[in-house]
Amino acid sequence: MKLLKKLPSLVLLFSALLFLAEGPGGTAEKNPQSVQVTIRTILAGNKVDEFDAKLKGMEQQLKSLKYRSYRSLKDDSKVVPWQGTQSFDIPGGRTLTVTPQEFQDNRIAVKVRLTEGEKPVVDTTVKIPNKGNFILGGPPHEGGVLVLSISAAAQ
Amino acid sequence: MELSDSELVKKSQAGETSAFQELVSRYHQKVFMVILGLLRNREDALDVAQETFFRAFRKINSFQGGSSFYTWIYRIAVNMSIDAQRRQKRNPLDFRESMDDVMEAQNQVAKDPFADVHDKELREKLTVAINDLTPDHKAVIVLRTIEGLSYKDIGEILGCSEGTVMSRLHYARKKLQDKLRAFL
Amino acid sequence: MNTCETIRESIGSWLDGELSPSASEAVRLHLAACSDCSVARQQLEKLQLVVKDELVTQAASIDFMPFWRGVQQRINRKRAWHEDLFEWSRGFLTAPRIAWAVPALIVVLLALFSLDSYLPGRGVRDNFASVESIDAHGRSVALLREDQTKTTVIWLYQDQEGENETAEEASKSGPTF
Repeated sequence: MKLLKKLPSLVLLFSALLFLAEGPGGTAEKNPQSVQVTIRTILAGNKVDEFDAKLKGMEQQLKSLKYRSYRSLKDDSKVVPWQGTQSFDIPGGRTLTVTPQEFQDNRIAVKVRLTEGEKPVVDTTVKIPNKGNFILGGPPHEGGVLVLSISAAAQ
Repeated sequence: MELSDSELVKKSQAGETSAFQELVSRYHQKVFMVILGLLRNREDALDVAQETFFRAFRKINSFQGGSSFYTWIYRIAVNMSIDAQRRQKRNPLDFRESMDDVMEAQNQVAKDPFADVHDKELREKLTVAINDLTPDHKAVIVLRTIEGLSYKDIGEILGCSEGTVMSRLHYARKKLQDKLRAFL
Repeated sequence: MNTCETIRESIGSWLDGELSPSASEAVRLHLAACSDCSVARQQLEKLQLVVKDELVTQAASIDFMPFWRGVQQRINRKRAWHEDLFEWSRGFLTAPRIAWAVPALIVVLLALFSLDSYLPGRGVRDNFASVESIDAHGRSVALLREDQTKTTVIWLYQDQEGENETAEEASKSGPTF
């Protein structure tokens, strides 16, 4: 009975703790320990009309590139520590290397390098919104072009 | 033919102030008694009693008839008394003087002067003893003693179970008996 | 607990008529046989009488018309808007309601903040990534922003002389917005 009377206070305390932990500016986001980097490799082409169902969540983004077909080749996701480097294999003998650098204003700065074998193709530093993505595309592959979706989420 | 409480309530809800006046006429003394039992001060009790009926007038349209009118008005009276008690800062001595003044003003002279002294002392002790009770215990004693309301009705007014009413009454009576044993 | 103690605890309820018939009969029989408990009953009856008498005497002196005039004055008095608001809040914003409303509000706010990234269209509102630096090592590169999906696109052209392509070839080799 006493516990029942205390219940609103307990709920308030629990909610307040939950809010502090998970709300805007919650602990996890103020001091993220690492970054989950996800690379989606897509083959875009103009030979046929096709849209891979696996890419449903990215339909709007991809169709803006105005290709006729989009096919998912691989998805790769890894947790990378700050200032740590992680490499992802990209079709065509290529490698994508990602280094999360800093977290500020809910944006993650990542350094990205695409190489073909040993040869650098592009080096770029991009500030991605937390849990957002950007597209790196254009390298030729199997009659079409590769489209890489690079996303990052603070952990 | 005398109208029932529910008929008077319906008329009041339709805007007939005379119907509400009739309800006030029926219950003003009983409501005053309950409030006086809780506040132990005549002026405060009068003020709160009038405020109780004013509050009832404003809320009359929200009265759906789920309970009887008297339990509804007593509920308002008890809640307003509890609010008033929280604001009250007087001590028991003031109460005794107020009641004495009132009794004298009403010419309540006992035939036996010794009895008068005895009764006066008993009332003083009674006031102190009742004031020592918590608002919850005061409320059950007053509602049961004055109105003879059932435990079910008292529970409805105070928002508690019949079992709670029974245990509070038992506790309050025991406390009063302990303090007033010499006079009983 | 002995019988007298049990009976004395029930005298009040017996006088109030709130005991079951069998319990009531048990109390009645005991009181008829026990003088101590009978005294306790008398004391309780006197107590109730004293309390009631005092209040009934007070109430009997209340005249109705002056009382009703006091109520009428309250009814007719013009109330300031804040009095009505205060009265409403006292009745509506009770402690138990506030005790539940505050954590409920926190949970709702939490849910809204969490949903932000899942609601259609809302998640992409701030999806523009900003390119701080880029080195395409001699290749042609285009930095594009697609407004509909709020997506930043870095497009690498296939040869180093991409700027010399005709418009028709560019439409086949790269995105158009």
